[in-house]
Amino acid sequence: MEVFFPRTLAELWPLKAANPESAVMAGGTDLLVRLRKTGERPPAIIALERLAELRRMSIEGGGLRIGAAVTIGELAASEIVRDALPALWQAAAALGSPPVRHGATVGGNMCTASPAGDTLPPLYVYGAAVAVAGAAGCRRLPIGDFILGPGRTSLAPGEIVTDIIVPLPTGGAFSAYYKVGKRRAMAIAVASLAVCIVRTADGAAGKVRLAWGSVGPTVISLPAVEAFLAGKRLAPDVLRQAGAMAAAAVLPIDDVRASAGYRRSLAGNLLLKLAALGDDEQEDGR
Amino acid sequence: MAEHRVLGKSVLRQDAVDKVTGAALFVDDIQFGPTLLHAKILRSPHPHARIISIDTAEAAKVPGVKAIVTGRDCRHYIGLYLADRTVYASDKVRFVGEPVAGVAADSIEAANAAVKLIKVAYEPLPGVFDPVSGARGREGLVHETPAAGDLWWQGLSCIKTKSPGALLHENLGEYQCAPFIHPVPGTNISNHFKLRKGDIDRGFAAADVIVENVYTLPHIQHSQIEPHSAVAHVDRAGKVTLWASSQSPNAVRKLIATAFELPMNKIRVITPYVGGGFGGKAGVTCEALVVPLAMRLPGYHVKLTLTREEVFQATFVRQGLVARLKTGADKTGRLVAMEAELFWDGGAYTEYGVNITRSGGYCSSGPYEIPNIKTDSYCVYTNHPVGGPMRGFGMPEIHWGIEQQMDIIAEKLGLDPLAFRRMNALREGSLGAFGGPMEGATLADTIDAVAAKCGWGAPVPPASAPHKVRGRGMACMYKAPSMPPNAQSSAILKLNEDGTVHVLTTAMEIGQGSLTALAQIAAEELGVAVDKVVVTLPDTDYTPYEWQTVASRISYSAGNAVLAAARDAKAQLLAVAAQVLAIPAAELVIEDGQVFPPANPARRLAVSDIAMGYLLPEGAIGGPVIGRGSFIPAGITGLDKDTGQGDKPAAFWTYGTQVADIEVDTRTGEITVLKVTAAYEVGKVINPAMCKGQVQGGIVQGLGSALYEHLVLAEGKPLNSDFVDYKIPAATDTPEMDIILLETSPQADGPFGVKGIAEPTMVPTAPAIANAVYNAVGVRITDLPLSAEKVLAALKKKQARES
Ligand SMILES: Cc1cc2nc3c(=O)[nH]c(=O)nc-3n(C[C@H](O)[C@H](O)[C@H](O)COP(=O)(O)OP(=O)(O)OC[C@H]3O[C@@H](n4cnc5c(N)ncnc54)[C@H](O)[C@@H]3O)c2cc1C
Repeated sequence: MEVFFPRTLAELWPLKAANPESAVMAGGTDLLVRLRKTGERPPAIIALERLAELRRMSIEGGGLRIGAAVTIGELAASEIVRDALPALWQAAAALGSPPVRHGATVGGNMCTASPAGDTLPPLYVYGAAVAVAGAAGCRRLPIGDFILGPGRTSLAPGEIVTDIIVPLPTGGAFSAYYKVGKRRAMAIAVASLAVCIVRTADGAAGKVRLAWGSVGPTVISLPAVEAFLAGKRLAPDVLRQAGAMAAAAVLPIDDVRASAGYRRSLAGNLLLKLAALGDDEQEDGR
Repeated sequence: MAEHRVLGKSVLRQDAVDKVTGAALFVDDIQFGPTLLHAKILRSPHPHARIISIDTAEAAKVPGVKAIVTGRDCRHYIGLYLADRTVYASDKVRFVGEPVAGVAADSIEAANAAVKLIKVAYEPLPGVFDPVSGARGREGLVHETPAAGDLWWQGLSCIKTKSPGALLHENLGEYQCAPFIHPVPGTNISNHFKLRKGDIDRGFAAADVIVENVYTLPHIQHSQIEPHSAVAHVDRAGKVTLWASSQSPNAVRKLIATAFELPMNKIRVITPYVGGGFGGKAGVTCEALVVPLAMRLPGYHVKLTLTREEVFQATFVRQGLVARLKTGADKTGRLVAMEAELFWDGGAYTEYGVNITRSGGYCSSGPYEIPNIKTDSYCVYTNHPVGGPMRGFGMPEIHWGIEQQMDIIAEKLGLDPLAFRRMNALREGSLGAFGGPMEGATLADTIDAVAAKCGWGAPVPPASAPHKVRGRGMACMYKAPSMPPNAQSSAILKLNEDGTVHVLTTAMEIGQGSLTALAQIAAEELGVAVDKVVVTLPDTDYTPYEWQTVASRISYSAGNAVLAAARDAKAQLLAVAAQVLAIPAAELVIEDGQVFPPANPARRLAVSDIAMGYLLPEGAIGGPVIGRGSFIPAGITGLDKDTGQGDKPAAFWTYGTQVADIEVDTRTGEITVLKVTAAYEVGKVINPAMCKGQVQGGIVQGLGSALYEHLVLAEGKPLNSDFVDYKIPAATDTPEMDIILLETSPQADGPFGVKGIAEPTMVPTAPAIANAVYNAVGVRITDLPLSAEKVLAALKKKQARES
């Protein structure tokens, strides 16, 4: 098996063209696990880790542009992410363990397209877009259009993700990520919830965005629940009603990690965390 | 008592630098050069099936393949307590993952390719997937006449067998077994341990409160960081050398000698560092698989390192248990009667597990004095992974139920659970469940120590958030080393020219610190500095016999052998010194490597001066000093087959108590263990830092078994045989730990008073956490683990009941 380390995108495209069956590898924390498990042996691997173009983070036109090969550890260490995109920051800090975060990338998490991918629910609630490039050119699409199903994306053969563009929420927005795993670290989400709420002057919820992980084939958005909460004060009974709506609407499965029933309960109960927005933010910020 | 110079000090571990720097060699690290071959094992995909035929012709054609073996090549039955298994499956497979054939090839890829090409025709058979059905199925009726209404086990979530009646071992009656194991031929019961103490009916008649519950535990795995590995080499003269990640070099040698009809002096077992054992590397595991391959390939080194998936599926797991416990107390809080039916899920082979059933049986009262007891402990064959020893050897399993029963009864009687336990604790001279007197019974001391340390009775501090609830729970334990009554140890202590010392034993360093503990015992007795003593790792051609490094018995048993060897060497040194100094030996001491009479310390000799003998003007005396020590525990007797009664079934008992402080998240069911306070009475602490390390490790392992660990089996097939979905605690799960080590009752026949500590450390953690959950949120969970999902479901149920 050959392994290539292109340094620029200009170097990458011809390699891709010459090795159509090759696998792209960023951190390898999903790919290598998969190769060991399935015994698949792609004829070549093209590594993204030396592509400086994919490793940058910058503010551009009201959004944060995150290179696809930026590591989860770098996200978790970024002050911009911490201050402007707390849900993404909390998700990064909750993904795997320090050694995993050191290699794992945001692009890899996106392309694996697991419903349990920790960075995905935050990227949904922030309305992130995915920049995709191929030898022929670039396109940009909303994350909800990029991810098609478990393990399925709209990447065409020969394309890669170059960037993820995350609009920065307006000042005063509250956002957070809540994860329940089977233990405190190095655990895949059994259920998770990202929230982004813009509060109105009187303290009620204005615009509400919610996205659940691990309770359906992809990250789940429930516009009906968002609409129900919009304009209301997030009192416990309101949240309980919203929780009941969510628990009924999500599409979880039974697996060795948890039953569908437990996942439904969590999908509803995680909303209760919003009862004491400010306090809970600290207490559950893991 | 004389002041100890080395004992009781936290001296640096002998293996610390090797392990911290990564220099320590484990089996898989050893380099063998071009003679190295790789083995891979074809494993059964069926939980229970007859093998009709095996065709290896295509596999043998794969380039690089050197040898293939199957059950045809090794037909002898082996086993530690019950010889019920062959090295490779012969006529039947009985669990998913059972070895069916082995391949040796010059690359792992070639071995894997060959394994895929071996064709096996199976005739699947119905299976047994829980121990109660296994024992009660058509052929396995436990009761001659099943009592009407005796169906307590129906509806338990662990009762899975769809078609009872499968018989796993048709030849059970012909298997050889230890005299204290009682198989029931014609059934799936490979050991029925019976205990009858007092009069159970009168006992319950005198009870004012009777509590009956069923407690269940799933299979869990030791999860050693180092996967099992073995390398076999056979020379032209037929001598077998094995490098093995094993806790039991001598047991490996013995079982392999039986399996392949070899004399023991033609088998050499070398064990470098072992990266964790916990029982999972006791007896014989994957070592036997490579031997028949190596026998066909003289001169080669055949290596098998298991994948993590194989470790989960095909090495020992902790047996599952279904325990029905009925406990009675009078209104003053005295325990008066207890009835226990224990169904152990022994798995496909119970060569080792049968003895867990026995230990669990004769300890079934827990650490309490109960006058009337009726226990039936059944080891049951199932089509599950092979159950075997794991830290605690039956004690974590039985205490899971016993210690919840204690809390439940105490609550019913309106008594404080701590005071209730203290009142019923086994004391010096109490009659144990087996009818004999208990010696050194110090449970109450550990209860008092923990109570004082954690402030038992003080109000529980508020939780960290409104939807979280705090709770506190306790559990006690006792444990004896589970071993044959004559489990032996021996040691050789050699002095070198410069007065340094080598101690040779076959005790195994599995991370517990045995090298250092044994060095401290030798140094203390001999009177030399501890850094002058090196304890070697086992090599059965050169190191003397040790039964096994299990049962928390090494500091006690190998420690006694080392102590005897040091005494022997010391006597030789003093005899020479006496002649040289012209002072009677009885008036001499050895301290810091110097021999002198305390009355006149200036007259002295260095140990190095006399280690090889001494040249006097009239000629040489003495000679190289070699100390010899053997130990066999004295006075351990059997138990009556029908009543389980006897005088002294075990060498000693270790007692301990833990209190767990926890917090439950009522929205997710997640449990956070905040703090564990633990007290153990260990007779004598050899090395405080290592001893505390054992307690910490046991608490964390106990916490894993309490909250997370569960090998999920569907019709015998493991669904989570990797660390993605089998969770052991991580650093962030580790609670604060407050540990107290007591030395109130030195063990009369223990070296310097030592008792064992390794296993007892994990025994009470799970029930203490379960009791704390009840204390916090009022739900009682009787089925391990206490997963967040179960806790949330129980909370919902409780809410529904209350509203
Ligand atoms: C021990 C362990 C723990 C883990 N814990 C978590 C966890 O808690 N939460 C979680 O969400 N995940 C977890 N993961 C999964 C994994 O770490 C993440 O999904 C990670 O973000 C993957 O990134 P990567 O760079 O390693 O991807 P890779 O393995 O390099 O790639 C994954 C897939 O994406 C493709 N790919 C990668 N980058 C690009 C790109 N720029 N363009 C096109 N295709 C691309 C690859 O071809 C491959 O198919 C864990 C993994 C391990 C091994």
